[in-house]
Amino acid sequence: MSPLHTPLHPRRRGVAAAACVAATALVLTACSDDGETGGGADDPIVVGISLPLTGDFSEPGKGVQRGYEAWAEFINEDGGLLGRQVELKILDDQSSADRVVQDYEALIAQDEVDLVFGPFSTRLVVPSARVAEEYGMLYVEPAGAANEVFEQGFENLFYAAPAVADDHYNYLAEQILAMPDGERPQTVAVASMDDPFAQGTAYGLRDKLAEGGLDVVVDEVYPPNTTDFSSIAAKIDDSGADMVIGGTQYQDAVNLIVALQQLDYQPQLAAFSTAPTNPEFADAIGDKTEGILSPTGYTETASWPSNVDFVKRYTELHGNPPGEDEANAYTTGQVVAAAVEAVGCAEQGECQQQLIDWLRENEVDTVVGPLTWDETGKPQGAHLIQQYVDGEIQIVLPKDAQEAELIHPKPKW
Amino acid sequence: MTGTLLFQSLVLGVLLGGLYALLAAGLTLYFGVMRVVMIAHSAFLILAAYLAWFFHQQTGMDPMLSLVITVPLFFAVGVGMQRLLITRLRPATITMMSVLLTFAVALFIEGMIGFVWGGTQRRIQLPYSGDSVSFFGAQIAVVKLIAFGLAALSLAGLYLLLKHSRFGQALRATIQHREAAQLIGIHTNRVAGFGFGIGLATAAVGGTALSLDATIYPSLHWHWIGPLMAIIVVGGLGSIPGAAIAAMILGIGQSLLQVPLGTTWAQTIFYVALFATLMLRPQGFFGGRLAQRF
Repeated sequence: MSPLHTPLHPRRRGVAAAACVAATALVLTACSDDGETGGGADDPIVVGISLPLTGDFSEPGKGVQRGYEAWAEFINEDGGLLGRQVELKILDDQSSADRVVQDYEALIAQDEVDLVFGPFSTRLVVPSARVAEEYGMLYVEPAGAANEVFEQGFENLFYAAPAVADDHYNYLAEQILAMPDGERPQTVAVASMDDPFAQGTAYGLRDKLAEGGLDVVVDEVYPPNTTDFSSIAAKIDDSGADMVIGGTQYQDAVNLIVALQQLDYQPQLAAFSTAPTNPEFADAIGDKTEGILSPTGYTETASWPSNVDFVKRYTELHGNPPGEDEANAYTTGQVVAAAVEAVGCAEQGECQQQLIDWLRENEVDTVVGPLTWDETGKPQGAHLIQQYVDGEIQIVLPKDAQEAELIHPKPKW
Repeated sequence: MTGTLLFQSLVLGVLLGGLYALLAAGLTLYFGVMRVVMIAHSAFLILAAYLAWFFHQQTGMDPMLSLVITVPLFFAVGVGMQRLLITRLRPATITMMSVLLTFAVALFIEGMIGFVWGGTQRRIQLPYSGDSVSFFGAQIAVVKLIAFGLAALSLAGLYLLLKHSRFGQALRATIQHREAAQLIGIHTNRVAGFGFGIGLATAAVGGTALSLDATIYPSLHWHWIGPLMAIIVVGGLGSIPGAAIAAMILGIGQSLLQVPLGTTWAQTIFYVALFATLMLRPQGFFGGRLAQRF
């Protein structure tokens, strides 16, 4: 007989029963504790969060965690929210959509947290937003820029960043369409990774330029595992397009740019998403970055008043300035805090609807600039446009945030 | 589509095919001498690329000089791996079990690369990275030309070694009929060990060639092993000329198909060719009678 089928030894059975009783007692104690302490005026405001601290999204997930923790620390140093200290309750959802649903159920129903913040990435934001909506909770999220987030009809969701992917290049599109006839590029070549975010950014710009009368002469999509870009580069080069748009992440942008340089293709304008803002980018393609454009949702050098303070304190705390994930998490905190301070409450129940209604009507100043939202929770801004000018990536658009003049046409690479 | 684009794609295909040919030659060699399916071949390829990058970063010298270290090193590792790991597998199930074993080795290498150098994507920046030469209207990147040259030289060296040296004859005898080779006094175990070492040395050359013109990251090897496996089946398992010819044809095919079909569909050529081979000619299209025996 295998050990698996051995009946439980009587003494073991006794131990198991005792363990069960002990566990039940603990659970009951825990419940009654909660009942006693919930809602007191001097108790801390508890914010429930589930984040992908392990698994696929663990890198950005940890960035978001640093941002949330920085927010809580700074706000507590400044006297808290509504005079109460803030406490974060962060669970690890292991980058799993099932897990994230359980986590928010537990945070809201069992732990009775006062507020919730969103997790990282569209895949986790959508299911957890549904849970938050069932409980009528305000749901502000730091990441989840893909269109499907805003197509679900959520009435409690707000995306705490300047713009969704499709709108990242809005300032650049306006600028190009406003150019006089002789200067404006006539033809555009587009190459994008088969990825909702990368495609969103590139196609947002492509469609606006096509509407404005520019010809799209190359429109390539490549799978995320593509490493050899010489054929795509050959197509772009052969078309002789005036402008090239890359819906890129990182290595694809680097490989594509080098392949274009090898073919001696010289566009007037070159715009790539994500990669150029990476600190390794300039090194990877050598000194040939001049004139490359990229949208960015956050830069540590932005002069918004709360950002100057945030970067200073964050740098003191961590020894390095915050990145975009940290900033978006911090923004989430700022947005919720603004609503809480304005409405004057932070608890489950009616208060949550008041917070939602307030955010619908009002503008919030954050580290990524002033934010407002439409009825689906889409932010109404656009990303800043950065360009490599004199070897450094600098903001060139919009004009009122400009650090350097836009170079057009771009110098040869 | 213009004639220039077509010609440009053809040239790019030839350059890509050359690199595939070298790597596939190594992969098919393992199978030939040992009946081993070496999943970790492309992991060693990426490891060599990382070593070239690391060498360039530390010394500032041309990454190709790292070959002086990596080729002997990989040869030794190959011999050691054959002696210490592969020969422990039972001969009856060696093909199946080697898939598991080398899969584990691939994961180990990937993990170690990530552990030592991090998951960040790396690229070697050389003064001639973006340079190209004009060739009848097509632009050929200097780095791709060097990579192709390295591959062609190594393949030629491999060919000479196998055809015109005593060791080569012994190796080919081992590939063709192990027992018969033993009967005429060939130390097939030693020969197989050296064969494995040579296979791994091709990965060192290939990885260095790759590092000149690619952004590398630890998990990159998974993108290489699929096409390489398809190539050696199409070329006939164990047949080095077969692997080289199949690599060239599929490399050029992939490059040309990208023009009308786009990148996503062009890469399916390897698998379409694989299915077609298995249906029509399971022993492979070029040489290779080995597959019939399994």
